[in-house]
Amino acid sequence: MMPKWIGKSNLLSEKNIVSLTSSISAILVGLLFGLVILLISNPSQAFAGFKTILFGGFTGGFKGVGQVLYFATPIIMTGLSVGFAFKTGLFNIGASGQFIVGAYAAVLVGVRLTSLPPSIHWIVALLAAAAAGGLWALLPGILKAYANVNEVIATIMMNYIGMYSVNYLVTRTVYDQLRNQSISTVAVLPKWGLTTLFPRSSVNGGFFIAVFMVIVVHILINKTTFGYELKACGFNREASRYAGINAKRNIVLSMVIAGALAGIGAGLLFLAGSGKHIEVVDILAVEGFNGIPVALLGMSSPIGILFAGLFIAYVTQGGFYLQLSNFVPEVIDIIIAAIIYFSAFALIFKNIMSKLIKGRKEQKQ
Amino acid sequence: MKRIKKIMALWMVLVMAFSLAACGTKPAATTTTTTAPATTTPAAEEGKYELALITDIGTIDDKSFNQGAWEGLKKYAEEKGITHKYYKPTEKSTDAYVAAIDLAVQGGAKLIVTPGFLFEPAIYKAQDAHPDVSFILLDGAPHPGDYNIRIEKNVYSVFYAEQQAGFLAGYAAVKDGYKNIGFLGGMAVPAVIRFGYGFVQGADYAAVELGMKSGDINLMYKYTGDFAATPENQTLAASWYKGGTEVIFAAGGAVGNSVMAAAEQSGTKVIGVDVDQSPESPTVISSAMKMLGVSVYDGIAAFYGGTFPGGKSVSLDVNTDGVGLPMATSKWQKFSQADYDAIYDKLVKDTDGLASTMKNDTSVKAATEIPTKVVKITVVE
Amino acid sequence: MEYIIEMLGITKTFPGIIANDDITLQLRKGEIHALLGENGAGKSTLMSVLFGLYHPDKGTIRMNGQEVHIKDPNDANKLGIGMVHQHFKLVHNFTVIENIVLGVESTRHGFLSMENAKKKVMELSDRYNLKVDPDALISDITVGMQQRVEILKMLYRDNEVLIFDEPTAVLTPQEIEDLMQIMRGLTEEGKSILFITHKLKEIMAAADRCTVLRKGKYIGTVEVDAVTMEELSEMMVGRKVSFAVEKKALQPGQDIFEIRNLIVKSRHSQKNAVQNISFKLRRNEILCIAGIDGNGQSELVYALTGLQPVVSGQLILGGQDITHASIRQRNAGGIGHIPEDRHKHGLVLDFNLAENLVLKNYYLEDYQHQGFIKFDAVYQYADQLIQQFDIRSGQGAFTPARSMSGGNQQKAILAREIDGNPDVLIAVQPTRGLDVGAVEYIHGQLVDQRDAGKAVLLVSLELEEVMNLSDRILVIFEGELVAELDPKETTIQELGLYMAGSKRGKVQ
Repeated sequence: MMPKWIGKSNLLSEKNIVSLTSSISAILVGLLFGLVILLISNPSQAFAGFKTILFGGFTGGFKGVGQVLYFATPIIMTGLSVGFAFKTGLFNIGASGQFIVGAYAAVLVGVRLTSLPPSIHWIVALLAAAAAGGLWALLPGILKAYANVNEVIATIMMNYIGMYSVNYLVTRTVYDQLRNQSISTVAVLPKWGLTTLFPRSSVNGGFFIAVFMVIVVHILINKTTFGYELKACGFNREASRYAGINAKRNIVLSMVIAGALAGIGAGLLFLAGSGKHIEVVDILAVEGFNGIPVALLGMSSPIGILFAGLFIAYVTQGGFYLQLSNFVPEVIDIIIAAIIYFSAFALIFKNIMSKLIKGRKEQKQ
Repeated sequence: MKRIKKIMALWMVLVMAFSLAACGTKPAATTTTTTAPATTTPAAEEGKYELALITDIGTIDDKSFNQGAWEGLKKYAEEKGITHKYYKPTEKSTDAYVAAIDLAVQGGAKLIVTPGFLFEPAIYKAQDAHPDVSFILLDGAPHPGDYNIRIEKNVYSVFYAEQQAGFLAGYAAVKDGYKNIGFLGGMAVPAVIRFGYGFVQGADYAAVELGMKSGDINLMYKYTGDFAATPENQTLAASWYKGGTEVIFAAGGAVGNSVMAAAEQSGTKVIGVDVDQSPESPTVISSAMKMLGVSVYDGIAAFYGGTFPGGKSVSLDVNTDGVGLPMATSKWQKFSQADYDAIYDKLVKDTDGLASTMKNDTSVKAATEIPTKVVKITVVE
Repeated sequence: MEYIIEMLGITKTFPGIIANDDITLQLRKGEIHALLGENGAGKSTLMSVLFGLYHPDKGTIRMNGQEVHIKDPNDANKLGIGMVHQHFKLVHNFTVIENIVLGVESTRHGFLSMENAKKKVMELSDRYNLKVDPDALISDITVGMQQRVEILKMLYRDNEVLIFDEPTAVLTPQEIEDLMQIMRGLTEEGKSILFITHKLKEIMAAADRCTVLRKGKYIGTVEVDAVTMEELSEMMVGRKVSFAVEKKALQPGQDIFEIRNLIVKSRHSQKNAVQNISFKLRRNEILCIAGIDGNGQSELVYALTGLQPVVSGQLILGGQDITHASIRQRNAGGIGHIPEDRHKHGLVLDFNLAENLVLKNYYLEDYQHQGFIKFDAVYQYADQLIQQFDIRSGQGAFTPARSMSGGNQQKAILAREIDGNPDVLIAVQPTRGLDVGAVEYIHGQLVDQRDAGKAVLLVSLELEEVMNLSDRILVIFEGELVAELDPKETTIQELGLYMAGSKRGKVQ
C-alpha cells in the first residue's frame, strides 16, 4: 500500500494546485498588462510583439533557450535565498549584498588561485562564493536572533556595506583599470554538454547546479527535521520556543544558508565564462533584488522558484527579441518590468483561489 | 455564491482577452507588409533594419558615446532613407554584446556600429561569426580579451588623435586670456595621457604666439586614477579653483561631473571631453571633442560608397575632421571662429611640424618632460 | 407584552452552509435577553444581520412593530441599536472622552468642542454608576473599564437596544459581578439588552429570558426562572451534560516536583512577579493555583516550563535540579504543558494537525532517521492520537490547525501533552473559551491523568472550575501564595476573598 502521506504531499495536492493556479493567473494578468502597454506604444505591431513575448526564449531557437537558462540561473539562486529565509519568517532583502560579496570571493579565487587544476578550481571558487554570501548574512542573523534587530534594516545596510567593500577590494586586488571592472577569472564552470545542445548561447553547467540546489533546498525544507524546525520558527516563533526548538540558532542558520544560496548564485554568474565582470560602480547588484519577485511568484516553494526564475528569464529574453519589432528598447524594459511586477501578485490570487475552493467545498457538504 | 460568480467573471475576461490576443497575432503577421508604409519611421518593416547600433551600459541619450554615435548614424540614415535601429544588450557582458549583435543581424543589419572599447572582445567574436556584416568599432580594436589585436576585413576600427583635441583646447584657453589653467585626467591610460600632453603643448604654443615670457602661464596637472564622480575628486578640483586656477580641462569620464560641481560653486570654468558637454553645466566653456557623429557618418557613407575601410585601425585627426572644438556652443570671450580656423588649418597643413612633432604618450614619459617655453607645469602627485 | 425588536424567520446562508435557518428572536422592551449557543451555532451571524453587516436571505426585522430594513451599521445606529464587540474598538492613545465622541464629534467653528460632550458623558456615567474617568487614556485603564467606555459609547449615541457580544470573556470574577449590576441598571432605565454568551451561570444570574440556537437552528426561547442550568445546557448541546466532575477519592502520592523560594521577574516591568514561592506537587493530585489574572500565575508557569529564566530559587523535578535546564530537557524530563494561549504557544497554526501533534517529539528516533522525518510514522501516530482523543477536523491529520475549532485545537494540545506521558502536567486555563461539551471532556482527561498517578498543576481563573476539579488549592496574590485551601472545606465566596487579597491564610 502506498504510504498515506505521499498521496497528500505529492505535486498534485490541493495546496499545490492552488499555488500553481494562482501563480499562473498572476502571470496571465501580468501578460495582459504588458499587452495593454504594447497596444498603447505601437498598436500596429502590438499583437506581433505580444507573440514575441509569449514565445519568449523560443524566438531565438536553441540559442534563445540557452540564454533563458543562463539568465534564470542567478535569479533562481537569489529567489531561493529570499524564499528560504521567508520560510523561516525572515525577509531577506540582503540577497543583493550577499550576491556581490559572493561574486567577489568567486572572482578572487578564480583569478588568484591559478595553481589549482581547472577541474577543482571552479568548485573552490564556488564554495568561496557560498562562504562569503553566508558570512554576509551571518551578522543580520545574529542581530535578529540575539538583539531582535529587524532583519530588513540590517540586511539593507549590509547591501551597501557589501557593495562599497567589494568596490574597494576589487580596485585593490583584481582590478582592470581601463575598464573599471574586475579582471577575467581563470576558473570557469564546466559546460556539461549544454553548449552542444544550445549552440552559441552562454548557458553552462551552472544551470544544473542551480537545479540541484533547488532539489536540495526542497528536501531540506520538506523532508528533514531541520526544515521542520525552520518552518515552525517561521510560522510561530513563540510556539517553537515552547516546543523546545532553539529558535535563535535556527534564525542564524536560516540567514546563513540564505546568504550562501545568494553567494552561489553570484558564483554561477561570474564563473560562467560569459565575459561578465564585477563593475566598480555604486549600484546594488540587481540580481539580488530580482530574487524577491521570483520568490513571490514561486510562493517561496523551491520548485515554484525554479519555474518562476525560468519564467522571468523567459519573458526577459522575449523582451530582448521584441527589439526586432518596432519598439523602443526603453519601452520594452517597461513592459517586461510590468509583467514581472504584476506576476509577483501571485499571493493575492492565492487568497482568491483558496476562498473559491473553500466556498465550493462548503457547498458540497 | 456572489464571490464565485465574480471570480468566474474574472476568468472569463482573462480567457477572452487571451483568445483575442491569439487571434490577433495571425492577421498581424500577414499584414505587416501592408501596414508598414503607414508607420512614421521610414520603412519600419518587421525584422528589417539595415543600420544598427548596439548601446553599451548607458542609455541612448547618455550625452556620451552612445548618443554621439547614434546621432551620426541617424543623420545618414534619415538623409538617405535607410532603415535603422539601436539594440540594447540584456546585461553588461561579452556574451550579451555578442547576443545583441546576433539579434541585430537577425533584424537585417548590414552595418553595425558599436560605441566604445567595451565591445572589443565582442567584435572579435562577431567579425568571424558574421563575415557578411560590417562593423564600425569606435575607440577600440577587436581582440579576445588579451589585447592581441586581429582585425578582419569587415571591421573598421576607429581611434582618435586625442593629443590634437587637447592641443586645440589648450591653445584656445590661453588665447582667450586664461593664465592659470589645469588638467585633471582620469586614469593614466594612453587616451587620457594624449589629451593631457596635447593640452600642455597647445597652451604653450598660444603663449609663445602671444609673446609671453616663461612662467606667465601656470598649469596644474594630475591624473585622479579613476573615472568616477567622487567627493575626493570634487574637493581636489575645488582646491585648485581656490588656489587660483581659472579653468580645468577635465578628461576622465565622470571625473568631469565632479569638476563641474566644484566650478559651479566657485564660479569658475570647465573644458569638457569626448563630446560636447556644454548641456551638462553652464560652466563648460568648450569641449575637446572626438567627432563621433562625423566619423560614424563618414564610415557609413564609405560603406555605401563601396570604400569601406575595413581590416584596419585608423586614428582620426584634424585631417578627417576626427577631432575638434564645438565652436557654436563654446563660450570664448576673445577666441574667435577665425582664430580657431587658423590654428586648425595649421594642424592640417602641419605647419612647423605642429602635428607631426607633437609629443604623445609614446614619445615622452611624463608631462614634465614636454619642452615648454612659457607654460610652467606643476604636476600634483 | 411589547417587543422592541422582532427578528422573524431569519435565514442566512453562506456558500455551502446555512448559518441561520428560520430563526426567530423577540426582544422585549426593558429585558435582558440571552442568546445562547455553542461556538458556531449562528449567534454572531444573527447579530450581524441585526447590525446590518449581513443581509438575510429570508425573514423580516421589526422594530416597535414596524418592519425595518437595516442595510448597514449606520442604519442600525440610527435605529438606536448599539453593540459592544468582544474585541473592543477603542483607540488606545486617545482619552476616554475622545473615544466616546469619536465619529459624532460636536464642533464649533470647525474646532472640537468637548465641554458639552464631557458634561453628557459624566451625567451618563453617574446615572448608570459606571465610574469612568473621562480624561484617562484608554491604554492606562483596565479591561473592565474599557468595556464601560464601550457601553458609554452606546449610551452617548442614545441607543435603546444594546448588544453585548461575549462580554464576560475578558473580565475577572469581580468585574463580571459589576457588569451584571450595570446591565440591570440599564434595563431599569428602560434599555433593552441582548446578551450573547455560552456561559450558563451568567445567564442564570442576569438574564430574564433566553433564546437557544444549535447548529444554525432555533431551539426555543425560555423564561430563565423556569429552567435549570442542566435543562439549558441540554438545549444548547443536544444531550445531557454533567457539570459535577466525577472524581474518586485518592490519597496523594509521593512528591514529584518541588519549587523552592522561586523569584521570577515580571514580563511587563522590572518588578518581581513571583516573590519567593515554595510548594510541592504530589502524584495523584490536582493542585490548583487560583488567583485573579495578572498576579504572577503566567510568570510562575513560564519559570516552571523554562520559557522565562528565574531570578533565584530552585526547581527539583523527581530529584533532579532543573532550574537552568533548557525547555527541551524539561519536556523530555517529564513536564507537560497546556499553555495559556493556544494560538501563541500551543500550536503552529500554519502546520497541519499531524505536524502539530509531533511538535515536541519530532526529533525522537521514532519519527526521524538521520535528520529525515519518517512521515509514515508521523501520520500513523497522528491518526492514533486523533482516534484516541476524538479530535474532529475536516481532513484528519492533514487539516491545517488554523481551520480547526477551538475545542478541537485544545484537544490536539491535550493529546500531545498527555501522550508525552509526563509526570507533571501543567494546565493553564485549559477550558478558556470552550463550550460545555469540550469543557466536560477536558476535565475528564485531567482527572484521568491524576488517577493514573500523575501530578496535575492547574492554573485557572474560573472559580467553578477550581472548586470542582482540584484536590488542593493554593491562592496566589501579588506574586505570593496567600492561602492553602481544601476545596471540600471552603466556599467560592471565601476563595474569592483570598484571591482579592482581603484575607490571608497559612501555606504548608
